[in-house]
Formats: sequence, structure tokens, C-alpha cells
Amino acid sequence: MPEIDQISPASTNQSGPSRITDRQAIFRILRLWQRQAPRLAIGLMLALLALCAGLLLMQVSGLRLAGVVLGEIIITTALLRWVGIGRVLLRYSERLFAHDAMFRALADLRVWFFHSLAQGAASGLGFRRAGDMLSRLVSDIGTLDGLYLRILVPFMCATLTLPILLVQLCSQNLMLGCLTGLLFACSAFLFPYLIARSGRQEAEQLTRSLSALRISVLDLVGGLREVRAFGAEPQMLARVEADDAALLGGQKQLARRAALANATAYLCGQIAILFVLLAISGVGFSKVAPLSGVGILFLTVAAFESAGALTRAGVQAGAMGAAARRVVEIAQGTPAVSTTGQEVDAPTDTHIGITGVKFRWASDRPYVFDGLNLDIPAGARVAILGPSGVGKSSLAALLLKAATPESGSITLGGIDISHIRATSLRRQIAWLSQATHLFDDTIRSNLLLGKPDATEDDLWRALEDAAIAGVVRNLPEGLDTWLGEGGVNLSGGQGRRIALARTLLTDAPIMILDEPTTGLDAQTEQDFLRTLNTVTAGRTIILIAHRLTGVEKLDQVWRLSHGQAAAVPLS
Amino acid sequence: MWYALFAAGAGVLNGLRPSLSGINAYVMSGKKQAIRGWTRTQTRLGRKAAGPVVVFGILSSLVGVAQAWCIAVVLGHSLISLHSSTVPAALPLWPIGAFLVLAIVRTCFLAGVDIGAANAGIEARKRLRAEVLSSVLTGGPALLRQEHSGVLATTVVDRVEALDGFFGRWIPASITWIAAPVLVLIPVCFVQPRAGLVLGLCGLAVPVGQALFGIGAAVASRNQFLAMTRLQARFLDRVKGIATIVLAGRTEDETHRLAEAADELRLRTMKVLRVAFLSSASIDAAMVVALIVVAIMDSHAALSLQEQNSAPLLEHILTSSLFVLLVIPEFFSPLRALALAYQDRAHAQGAATAVIDLPVAEEHRTVSEQDLFPDRSISITLDQVCFTWDPARGQALDHISIKVPAGETVILTGTSGSGKSTLMELLLKFISPDSGQILLNDIPLETIPADALSHIFSWIGQKPILFAGTLRDNILFAHPDADEEALMAAVKAAAVDQFLPSLSEGLDTRIGEGGFGLSGGQAQRIAIARAYLKNAPVLLLDEPTAHLDPETEKSVFESLQRLALNKTVILATHSAATHMFNGHRIGLQDGKIVQKQGSA
Repeated sequence: MPEIDQISPASTNQSGPSRITDRQAIFRILRLWQRQAPRLAIGLMLALLALCAGLLLMQVSGLRLAGVVLGEIIITTALLRWVGIGRVLLRYSERLFAHDAMFRALADLRVWFFHSLAQGAASGLGFRRAGDMLSRLVSDIGTLDGLYLRILVPFMCATLTLPILLVQLCSQNLMLGCLTGLLFACSAFLFPYLIARSGRQEAEQLTRSLSALRISVLDLVGGLREVRAFGAEPQMLARVEADDAALLGGQKQLARRAALANATAYLCGQIAILFVLLAISGVGFSKVAPLSGVGILFLTVAAFESAGALTRAGVQAGAMGAAARRVVEIAQGTPAVSTTGQEVDAPTDTHIGITGVKFRWASDRPYVFDGLNLDIPAGARVAILGPSGVGKSSLAALLLKAATPESGSITLGGIDISHIRATSLRRQIAWLSQATHLFDDTIRSNLLLGKPDATEDDLWRALEDAAIAGVVRNLPEGLDTWLGEGGVNLSGGQGRRIALARTLLTDAPIMILDEPTTGLDAQTEQDFLRTLNTVTAGRTIILIAHRLTGVEKLDQVWRLSHGQAAAVPLS
Repeated sequence: MWYALFAAGAGVLNGLRPSLSGINAYVMSGKKQAIRGWTRTQTRLGRKAAGPVVVFGILSSLVGVAQAWCIAVVLGHSLISLHSSTVPAALPLWPIGAFLVLAIVRTCFLAGVDIGAANAGIEARKRLRAEVLSSVLTGGPALLRQEHSGVLATTVVDRVEALDGFFGRWIPASITWIAAPVLVLIPVCFVQPRAGLVLGLCGLAVPVGQALFGIGAAVASRNQFLAMTRLQARFLDRVKGIATIVLAGRTEDETHRLAEAADELRLRTMKVLRVAFLSSASIDAAMVVALIVVAIMDSHAALSLQEQNSAPLLEHILTSSLFVLLVIPEFFSPLRALALAYQDRAHAQGAATAVIDLPVAEEHRTVSEQDLFPDRSISITLDQVCFTWDPARGQALDHISIKVPAGETVILTGTSGSGKSTLMELLLKFISPDSGQILLNDIPLETIPADALSHIFSWIGQKPILFAGTLRDNILFAHPDADEEALMAAVKAAAVDQFLPSLSEGLDTRIGEGGFGLSGGQAQRIAIARAYLKNAPVLLLDEPTAHLDPETEKSVFESLQRLALNKTVILATHSAATHMFNGHRIGLQDGKIVQKQGSA
């Protein structure tokens, strides 16, 4: 859905980067549902028809009975039967259709959410919590079904019911009609609105509590090894319990509000019935004809039942607003990819030039690079050395546009990379980082991430080159071995080599290998580096390392220190 | 309590259960029984809290019946005035007054039902979440080999959340669905036996329909939750590695796969709903049939009376018929509540499958490590220890015998995958040996409780988990009560102080999940600082200097040497710098000892 992804600059800028209102968020969500609009509309139509059938049914069965007083059958048995059948069928198909449409829209929304999240996540989640993202994807988007099912549909039903109620009642007794109409409007529109507004804060708190619970549970579960080894069970448990208590406490309050809302809605309906009864008896109102009295009584009973749904929705509306905002925030929060004019595809020339680059991760951190100059010709094999934390990974991030320099320029084939489309740039550069993730999937799928159309031979060759083919061959399920979370089913060093094989598998003409030999023993390390000398002929290799072993064939070695690169003479 | 009588109602439903679960042929009967046992236990535990919900629910139905009578009297009286031959009598006002009073009373009852249900759900979830959590903690790290952490978290968070309806709705509904309609039926039979018969018959059709649809509901709901869990685990895993996906240019592919998972969830959800909607449509149908039959039947009866011109009789039949019409929704609403709660029961069964897979929570034993090891000098003995992760892949450790005397160091070498980490995990009791024995001094490892063990070992793993928070929190994780002096000593020893100046807020700098904001080497040093702070008598070091440059590695090894003084140490490493450690060297290959230097 590429057209959806373009956030109109106006809507993002005018509200400021930090906060958007619930209403903006909800409208944004509704716009995202356009693709499902026809289905949603049909669902709504069915709901309205089902409502009419429902109102009619109560009224005609009352009238049928009352009519006998006059000694005649006003309502025929056939009519009664058709209305009854219609009511059951319409109600069933309405619910089925509306829910299906809604869940299609939610699935779209989840996909959009992940896509938006990925837009700004070239350097990882950063300070965002995976558990919080999960909570947004699952619970918050899940809550949004209410936007249509619990608010929009009942609202339209109520808007249809109100004039029906008004016309029928006013034609009998103006005052009765007005009073009942007023009650209905209160119950269906005013009270839900008030409840929603007053509960906004609590609702937001509740969505946050659920997210906090998810985060602390994930911390506990994901960190089970540390928790056990450090005997941290009590402190982790205490945190989860505190978050749980906050969530349950919030839910308790919400339940009270819901009970109050329900009671109010119910009482409104009862008062309306009371008015009708008074009018029928001619007390306080001018007397209504008995027969139509019966009709409007049954109509009132049915009408207020549908209004009650809206009162209940009012309780959840706050949560929906909060959820909508949390979902949309992610899209807004992604840094607007600097769309400086026309972006071009990466050139075929892979000469890398870095001149005068200044860079730091945050304004309160010291400069990682301060006037960095590097020149890496196409096809060169270079090493960049330096102690840990000197900025070797930052260099890779800059080259991949996962981070932007404050000043200076980085060029690829003579074109400033800020003008090169990120996806195209990244196709040219393969990066094995220290944080490369192994997915909870088979070895094969993990490798295919590097090159989706790789053949079986390609896969094995990459595994050979990464010095892991023997291990994989000995696995009973070979390439189809499930790696487990973070590669848990292999040892650390083996997992690392699977990631290396994935990087070697790519066709990218430039390879940045950040400590590719971590986890290898000295002999295997040397073997690997010798292999690297041969398999990557013609490609640019940027080897990031703490030290050299002496077997690497290199054209140039740089040492990073104090934010600059100094050439090291080749021995 | 008196409502326990109505538990008989639930009993009728329970009687349906064997046939319902009969379709789960894939579940072995032992497991099936465990699920049933769990559900039964939960039902028993939930009954007490459901009490107020049941009482208020039944009372509210009864008030509803009285209200219907009031309305019927008013309507009947006013209609009879149309009857040509009657002199309109003054309309009594008492029904209107009574209606108002009853409406207020019923409002209170309804609020009572709502609040009672919420409380029942909240209490039960609190209890269950604590139970599930302690099961997860008992299972410990071994669980992470079987399940994605996302799946475990789903069990703790979402499975338990989904049980709200089981305690708040299903358990009360399983009592009221029979009690309330019967109580409503009594006055109806009294007023108009014929209508009572119609209502009773239509009502009886409902449980039959429910039983039919219920069969599908349980399976559908289980599949839906499975799809939900899968989506969650997939998303969590992909989000953690999102940078890898984006930089590999695979965003579109992954988005597409997520779309498939999301769509599967929709299909599964719709299956659940289709059944739920069908079952409530069947109740709708029963209600409509009752409504129409009563309306037609009574209007025929009334017509014949009308011809007889007997006003009082006519008024009576009009009033009673209107009463029955008005009471019909009242009669069906507890049945409808039962239908709505049917998927809640399915949720409970789903939760049961997830929960009974977890180990039973251990009771806390109060043996402290001081009682077991008073002088804090500990020798480690492995005697013919074997361990297998996966039978198809052969033994990870094959008859390993090692003795590490107290205060000495053993260095494990060997290629990645040779079993070094497995050995560490065995010592930490993350896993248990298939055969052979591990002794600390002369105490078998399996008899030492987990919390005592955590005081004995300091462990630096290969992938230390850093939590989102400040550096200080992350180091103090090892020993929350440590004072500033101890903290600073640990910081210095682990060479953390070397990179602190480059961080804006020093130790109070916030880092993201998985150590975002730190380089690999820096994260490693935080983990080492933890080990220092803990200062336990045994050090288990699993490649502690991976990701470190030679210079930092040297300084860390130097400080590890100081830490290792008088401690028992097992160090697994490839590093050439281990010559700094004096100790016995043991070479591992494919889970066997291939080389021994020194007298280990």
C-alpha cells in the first residue's frame, strides 16, 4: 500500500513533532481504512436494516395483540413471520459482515504499523521497547475495532432511531415525543460523550499499564538466564506484580465507570418507558390513544436498548483514542527520511569517499568522528582498526544511511549518499554487524534473508566460506534446522558464523564485516580470513577489527582514534 | 451458600463436556484430563467470587418480571377502554409508581452484577498471573529453549487477560442460565400456562443448540489463540531484529509475511465469531419464535373472548398476554449471556493447555548457602556427566569428569559448539544432566535450591542481557543492596570507568533494550561489572572478553585475576590471553575431553 505511506507533510508538521490529538490520530486511522471502505459501508447498511427489523418486530407483536381489542387483526401472521425471520437473518449477517470488514481493516493496520516502524528502524529500535511495540501492535490495534463496531455502527443506528422515535411519538403527543427524544439523545450522544471525555486520562493510563506489564514480563522472560543466575527472581517478580496491580487497579476503576454508564443508560430507558406509561394513562400528559400507546411503548423499549450500546462505548472511547494515538505515533515518530529533491539509485561505481565528516549520536554525547577522511577505491580491501567503542560501528551506520553526519560528505561513486535512495544504497552494501539478529526460523530462511533467490548450492557455498558447513551438514535436519530465538539452538560462535554466511551470500559489491571472527578459535579464524581473501575477489571489503592476524591480504589499513582515521603502513 | 443449588445447572452442562472434548483426538487423554482437572479447579475457585454476580443477576431478572407486570396492567387497562361496551374505570396509578421504584432497584442490581463480575475477573487474574509467573520462574532458562520468549510472555499476559470472561461471565452464567429462566417461567405459568409451555419449549431448544455450536467454539477459539500467539512471537522476533531486516532490504518481504500472519488471525477470529454469532442467532430465533407464537396464540384467544363481550376476562387475557410478551426478552437474556460466555470457557481450556505445559511451581526451600557452604570455599566435581540437547544431534557432553579444587582455576578450551557453554548451563542448573552427577563440595547440585545457588555462582554469559534503564540499574541488578563504594569498585575493576567519561550522564546514562547506546565491548564490561559486584565464591566465565580489543581484554583479564583470587573459577575462552591465568587446561571437542593439562 505505497500510497498510504506518504504522510502529507502538512499534517505531520503543524501539530509539532511531539503530540498529536486523539482526533487527528483517529482520522488518520480512518483514512488508512479506506481500502476496506466498501465492506465497512455494507456492514453499516446491514446493521441499519437489522435495526429497523428489530424495532418493527417489537412493535408489530405488541400491536398484533393489542389490535384484538378492536376485534380485528391489524397485523397479519405473515407480516409477523417475515419480520421475525428478517430480524434473525439480518442480525446474523450484519454481525458477520461488519466484523469481517473490521478485522480486514485491522490486519491492514497491523501491516502498516510494522511497515512504518521499519521505516525509521535502520539503526534498531533505539530507546523504544520491543514489548511496547508489541503492545501497540496487538492490544492497541485490537482495541481499535471498537471504533467501527462499537462507536460508528451504533452511532449511525442511533442517528436513524432518533427520527423514527421522534416522528412516531410526536405524532401522538408532542411533549412526550420531545421528552423521550431528549432522553434518547442524552443516553445515545451526550452521556457517552461526557463519559468518554472524563475517562480519557484513565484510559490512556490503562493502555500504558498494559504495555508496562508486557515490557516487564518480557524482561523477566527474556532475561530468565540472568534472573536465575543472579537470583533476581524477587526483584523482577516485584516489578511485574506492581505493573499487574496498576493494570488491575485501572481496570477496576474502568469497571466502576462502566457500571455507572450502564446504570445511567438503563435508567434513561426506564424513565422514557415511564413517560409513555404516564401518557397512556393520561397523567401529566394529554392522553395517548391506547392502541398507538402500545405501539410506541414497544418501540421505546427497543430503541433504548440500542442507545445503551453507545453509553457502553463511551467508556471505551477514551481507550480507543489513546490506542489510536499510540499507533499513529510510531509513524509520526519515524524521522522524516530527508527527501532532498530527487533521490537516485546507487551508481555502479563503488568508490567510497568520506571527507570531513563530523558525527555524534546525540547532542549531549562527544563527537565520534571529527573531521574523518577516508578514501576507499572500488574493489579495495581495507581494514579499519581501533579499540572497542571508537566508532567502527558508527562508520558502518553512516555508510548505510542508518545515521546522518552533522557535516562533511560521504560519496559513493562520486554521488553524495544523501541523494541516493536508502533501499538502493543498502543493496550495494552488506553489513555484518555485531548485533546482527538471527531470527526464530530455519537456517535456510535466515540465510535467504541475504539473497531470497539463492540456490541450494549458493547456500552451501556461503556456509563453506563461513566455516560452518560441516556443522550444518551434521545436523539431522540440515538447512531446515530451527534456529530458535536468537539462534539458541546453536552455540554462540556457530550462530555468528550463520550470520556471516548470510552476509557472504549477498551480491552486494561492498561488504562491511564487523569483527567477523568473533567466536572462532585461532586456527579457524586464520582459515576464514584466508578464504575471505579468495571468495570476495572483485568486491570492496571493509574489515572492522581490533587487531590483525597477519594472514589478511589488504590494500590499506586505517586506525581510528580521536574521531579521525590515520593510515597504518602495511608491513 | 444457597446458590450452590444452582450449581446443578452447571452440572448439566458439564455433562456435555466429554462429548465436546472428544474431538480433540490429537490431545492425549492424559493431557485432556489434566485440562479438565485444571478447568474444574478454576471453576471451583471462581464460584465464591461469582456469588454476588449470580445473586444480583437472578434478583434483577425477578425485578424485570415485576416491571413487565406493571406495564402490562397499565396497557391492559387502557386498551380495554377501547372495548365498546365497557365504562372506562379510573386507571390505578400504583403500577406506574411501582414501575419507577422497581426501575431504580433494578438499576442498582445491574450495577452490582457489573461490578461483581469485574471484581471476580480481577481477583482471579491476579491469582493466576502470580501462579503462571512462578511456574515460569521455576522452569527457568530451560523454557527458552522450548518456546520463544514472546510465546511465554503471551501466556503470562494475554492468556491470563483472556480469562477475565471465564470468571466474570462464564461461571456466573453457568449458574444463572438455568436458575433465572426457571424463576421467570414460574409467574408466566401461573398467569398463562399455555405461554409458559411455549416459552419452556423454546427455552429447552437453546441448550441443544449451544451444545452443538459449543463443540466448534472450543476448537475455533483454541486455533484463534494459537494464531494470535504466532503473530505475537513473529512480530516480537522481527522487531528485535528490525535493523537486520531493514539493512538487508527485506522490509517488503517481512511486511508481506506479517500480513499473512495477520490475515490468518483474522480468519481464525472470524471462525470463532461465526460460531458465536450462530449460537446467538439460534437464541434470537428461539426468542422470535416464542414471541410470534405467543402473539398469534393469544390474539386468537382474545378474539374469541372479544366476541363473547366479557370485559373483565378480556382485560385479564390482554394484560397477561402483554405481560408474557414483555417478559420474553427477560426469559432469554440469561440464555443469551450463556451463549456469549461460551467462548470464555473455550479460552479457559486454551489457557489450561498452555499453563499445564509449564512446570509446577516449586515451593521455596529455606536452605541458605551459608548453611551449606559456611566457609565459602567450594570445590566442583563433575562425575561422568552426560547431556543431550537433541537426541538426533548426539550428546553435547559425553561422560565428562572434571574436578576443580576449591580456590583453583580451570580453563576450558575448544571450538565453538564443543560443549563449553552447555557445561556452564549444567552448573548453573539451567538444565539437568541426563546421567552422572555434579557435586559442590560433597553436596549434590540437584539438592541445592536455586536461590542458594545464585549466591554461589557469578556468571558472565556470552550474550549478557542488558535491560532498558540506566547503567547503574543494570550493574546493581546483580546486587540491589550494594553501596556506592562497592559499585564504584566493580565499575573500576571491569574497566567500565574507561568509557564513562564519553557518556553524558556517566552511570546514570540510559541505555535501550539489548544495550542500545553501548558498543559490544562496553556492554560486555557492564556484564563483567555485575559479576564483580556480586562477588560470589565461584566464577563461571563464558568467553568474557569476546568483543573486546586486545588492550581492553588485557586490562579486564588483569582485574579478573584479582577477582579470581581465592575463588573457584571455570573459564571458557578462545583468547590467547588466557596464559595470564594459571590453571588447569581442559580441551573439549564434540562434548568429550580431548586434552588435560595440570591435574584437573
